[in-house]
Amino acid sequence: MLSLKDIWIHYGMVAAVKDVSIDVAEGEIVTLIGANGAGKTTTLRAISGLHAPTRGDIVFRGKSISGMTPEQINALGIAMVPEGRRVFPYMTVMENLEMGAYLRTDRTQTRKTLEEIFHHFPVLRERNRQLAGTLSGGQQQMLAIGRALMSEPDLLLLDEPSLGLAPIMIQEIAKIISQLHALGRTIVLVEQNARLALRLAQHGYVMETGQIVLHGVAEELRHNEQVQKTYLGA
Amino acid sequence: MDIATLIQTISNSIVAGSVYAIIAVGLAMAFGVMKMANFAHGEFFMAGAYVVYVFYALFGWPFPAAVLMAIPIVGAMGVATERLIFLPTRGNVLAGFMATAGLAFILQVLVGQTWGVGLMRSVPTPYMGAADILGANIGWQRLLIIPTAFAMLGLLWFFLYHVKAGKALRACAQDPETARLQGIKINRMTMLAMAISGASAGLAGALMAPIHPVTPYMGHGVILTAFIVVILGGMESIAGAVLAAVLLGFIHTFVTTVSDAIVAQMVGVAFMAIVLVVRPQGLLGRVKA
Repeated sequence: MLSLKDIWIHYGMVAAVKDVSIDVAEGEIVTLIGANGAGKTTTLRAISGLHAPTRGDIVFRGKSISGMTPEQINALGIAMVPEGRRVFPYMTVMENLEMGAYLRTDRTQTRKTLEEIFHHFPVLRERNRQLAGTLSGGQQQMLAIGRALMSEPDLLLLDEPSLGLAPIMIQEIAKIISQLHALGRTIVLVEQNARLALRLAQHGYVMETGQIVLHGVAEELRHNEQVQKTYLGA
Repeated sequence: MDIATLIQTISNSIVAGSVYAIIAVGLAMAFGVMKMANFAHGEFFMAGAYVVYVFYALFGWPFPAAVLMAIPIVGAMGVATERLIFLPTRGNVLAGFMATAGLAFILQVLVGQTWGVGLMRSVPTPYMGAADILGANIGWQRLLIIPTAFAMLGLLWFFLYHVKAGKALRACAQDPETARLQGIKINRMTMLAMAISGASAGLAGALMAPIHPVTPYMGHGVILTAFIVVILGGMESIAGAVLAAVLLGFIHTFVTTVSDAIVAQMVGVAFMAIVLVVRPQGLLGRVKA
């Protein structure tokens, strides 16, 4: 469904992502794990159009999307939940969700999507008139995921959804991600919490200083000695 | 101060506050979406007054029609400024400042060359007479500004809070990158913000044309006040701009009545300085997380 082909991304002269190739098949969760600054977020931002790869190609559903604007890429069916949640703080929960469906014109279908999201996240229905900035971190993460789902994306990009959340909230978010997977969603998950990420994903890629150093079936990566030592603290 | 003077001064304050509000809201809105300040905003105000001068005083159109013409004409100037100046300099605050300050001078000279400098253009008052309220005389021409300001601010509020494009504009002001991730075309939104910004400055200038000296340099005093209002209100806050506009309208008018206009400017700036010491983010400003 999505493939990154030997992409490079530079910040000025510095290469943040070097020769990275990733394949994502329909209906699976692919995770990108690694330490802070390994290039995971940059890679994800390239998929959503916030960075243009300096070399290489990104192909989504057989079509090259590298060099497109974030607006165009969203219109093609890719939605991102950015790092740090980034809800619109001075807009209500409802308005945030409406913004997620900005490009949709089918009112009845959009209404249905909204009902599904409220079903997933009942707290968003209860607080739909509240300003998003006044929600707790976990609730903001739910809103950010809900907002991304409002566009009914074919591909969902999640950037560090567990970051800064209480352990009980992390479990809640993990449950939601596996529910989305069960419903057939395709997800790219960037996580520092490797234990969580490898539990949720089918395939995993390990990044170090801008390069993929290891990749494979998530289950196997979990038992890989190197991964255990470096990322799982075993 | 007797009761008639008091009522006169209060009504003048409300009129001044209304004009400040229309002008400042446009400036705040453009700043909110683009994070760049338009230093030619005062010249948009001046352009609005000249639209009325040309269509009403020279061509003899009805006054309301001339005022309505100012909205699309100056709105289009806003859009042109966005395309030709703010888009190429986006993210470079200094370049945007230099370019719009330059634009301010270009517009002044252009208007001066076309319609003359020195002699002020006289725009006859279309609505003669005055309302007599407890001995105070308040000209209809001035009074007209109050309902117009209410209507314009009400429309803007409705647009920002109940229309999808208006909500998208707020989203862009709060987090442009995330707004783009929702498919909101940022370049359309900056254009829209500048159209509204130009239109509101033009409307204010158009309304003021019969009661304010119409000269190529009339934007000078206005831009200073507009910036004080916007900073006092809290840079990106529309509601803050309205509140600050009314406060400053009262301060300027009352101090001018008991002293003079220069002292009024000083008191206004001092008031801003004191507010900023207590609340650095402005009256209704938001603290960035």
